[in-house]
Amino acid sequence: MAYVSIRELRKSYDDTEALHGLNLGFEEGEFVVIVGPSGCGKSTLLRMIAGLESVTSGEIAIAGQVVNDFDPADRGCAMVFQNYALYPHMTVAANIGYPLKLAKLPRTERDARVRQVAEILGLTPYLDRRPKQLSGGQRQRVAMGRAIVREPRLFLFDEPLSNLDAKMRVQMRIELRRLHRQLSATSVLVTHDQIEAMTMADRLVVMNSGRIEQIGPPSEVYARPASTFVAGFLGSPAMNLFTARIGAEGGIQCDLAPDREFPGRLDLAPGSAFVLGVRPEDMSIAETDTSGLPAVLDLIEDLGGTRIAHCRVGEAFVTAVLPRESRLREGARLGLLPGPRQLHAFSLETGLRLTSTATAGTLAPTESVTVP
Amino acid sequence: MTIDATLPGAMPRPARRARPARWEAGIGHGLMILTALICVFPIYWMIVTSLRPENAIFSTRLWPDTASLENYAYALRAVPIRQMLVNTFIVSFTVTVIQLVTGILAGYAFARWRFRGSALFFGAIALTWLVPLQVVMIPNYLLVSRLGMIDTLGALILPHVASAFAIMLLAQSMRSFPSEVIEAARMDGASHAHILWQVIVPNLRGTLASLAILIFISTWNEYFWPLLLSRTPENSVVQIGLQMFITSEGTQWGPLMAASTMASLPILLIYLVLQRQVIASFMKSGLR
Ligand SMILES: Nc1ncnc2c1ncn2[C@@H]1O[C@H](COP(=O)(O)OP(=O)(O)O)[C@@H](O)[C@H]1O
Ligand SMILES: [Mg+2]
Repeated sequence: MAYVSIRELRKSYDDTEALHGLNLGFEEGEFVVIVGPSGCGKSTLLRMIAGLESVTSGEIAIAGQVVNDFDPADRGCAMVFQNYALYPHMTVAANIGYPLKLAKLPRTERDARVRQVAEILGLTPYLDRRPKQLSGGQRQRVAMGRAIVREPRLFLFDEPLSNLDAKMRVQMRIELRRLHRQLSATSVLVTHDQIEAMTMADRLVVMNSGRIEQIGPPSEVYARPASTFVAGFLGSPAMNLFTARIGAEGGIQCDLAPDREFPGRLDLAPGSAFVLGVRPEDMSIAETDTSGLPAVLDLIEDLGGTRIAHCRVGEAFVTAVLPRESRLREGARLGLLPGPRQLHAFSLETGLRLTSTATAGTLAPTESVTVP
Repeated sequence: MTIDATLPGAMPRPARRARPARWEAGIGHGLMILTALICVFPIYWMIVTSLRPENAIFSTRLWPDTASLENYAYALRAVPIRQMLVNTFIVSFTVTVIQLVTGILAGYAFARWRFRGSALFFGAIALTWLVPLQVVMIPNYLLVSRLGMIDTLGALILPHVASAFAIMLLAQSMRSFPSEVIEAARMDGASHAHILWQVIVPNLRGTLASLAILIFISTWNEYFWPLLLSRTPENSVVQIGLQMFITSEGTQWGPLMAASTMASLPILLIYLVLQRQVIASFMKSGLR
């Protein structure tokens, strides 16, 4: 049985429903990241687990016990808020020690625990300061200290890193993971940042407008997105999505270039339409536009290690990773060939993934195709 | 705080934000000095008059030629001013403390609890603020007289144990208190009492200090209600004492000004002391 299990959870605000019956579980000790665009209900879900929002219907159980009607303090979980939510009038030591003070722990024991936590988080030199006198990263650490001092079995983080600058965010990402390894308490982190999600999660929960789109390890969610939403949301730059159909010869025909058919095998009847998904790194580039989708190289984005080619195919924009040795310039004509590695197919109607196994294109690289 | 008026930030047009012209600041300062003089002059005149001997009481010279404390001695002999000052202080202090406490409790309830009819209650409280003293004077008088409290300090305190102004001000400032901090406290295991007294109130020191000053001064200056209730000078407040120098045979201006000076000195002192505290706590408490 999962450490946290959520069944048919719904939340309504007045007459609008924010969560539409969620089912999921968190295993003991795992690091789960809930990711989704802003407004999709991540915070609502987390706050319901914490007990800060009431449950409209459904059930939340922690450690086998239904906690729907428990006070936040009685659920054995601690929460770290986006704006840190420190007590402005208390010193760092008092902030961290406040939960223990409320639990009526003797002063000496309290001080010892606070010092121990401060040591773990590198806050010892700042114990007498007030939150206002700390940097964003330090405040975040104090908020974390206040959470771990109670030794909860479940940590809830609501966008804990989004108020930090980019460098600090990367550093805290690693620190959070390290802390999780050290404490091994179940952790649930909410974020709208897909890189944060991909890098931190043992398991990813992708949400969209009050529903769960997919649950799984980041690599699997990335490799086999369950819907066009997940496909477009995870990965940067995003996966290219084309409307396509099965051609007369059983290959793939993109609506962008209906007169060309690409090799590829899908278990679909000839003529049936679907959504073809190709990640930029799975897109092959031919240096002439006689094969593949005829495109114009509009812009090259140099990310240091890789270069992203933003191409125009008719009215549409398609991104591809430019091979290291490519000498193509902006304005050049080229051909974009889906594959040869992984292709994805989704239903045109529901947006759901069409085959449970990867629809890998069985494309043999031809002469004119450079394989990235 | 008044200095703000000449700061560039207070100028409405962004074009002027960057650099206020020198002469603009000069005019601003000049106006403020003038206003300050106009405000301070009556107080100055009160003190000067209180120091004048009786034959020079209506002199219009700005500076007294001879100063004497005769008026003070007379005022102290004629009326038990010391006792009255103590009484006024007791009443004002008690009213201030009680109004702050009831204001904090009611403000928290309105700000943090959703209960049936809370808007109605809040509206009713706001309405009592609009009802003038003259309307409730008679019912209140009947009430305290039934309670046998005529001519006691308790009767001066009783109608003031809660004030709409304090409740509304505190409810408003508690509503704007960051809700994440309160939620963090709930997660930490804080009860409502903990949240109110250990988390919110310490961060409202600035508001509470200014409110305390306002309540204290308005109670100190109250006249009608004590006038209605007082029977003996010993159980009365200093504003009643002042009125005793205005008799049907004429007004004793010198002693009246001396007594007035004595009545307003504590207020001035408290204001000076607390004003500094208010500004300091505004700066210290600043959320975030
Ligand atoms: N207190 C509230 N009252 C009404 N609607 C709310 C409230 N809180 C959140 N919502 C709505 O619920 C939806 C999900 O919000 P939220 O959980 O904050 O999203 P996220 O954290 O994913 O950005 C949003 O559409 C939001 O407008
Ligand atoms: Mg949110």
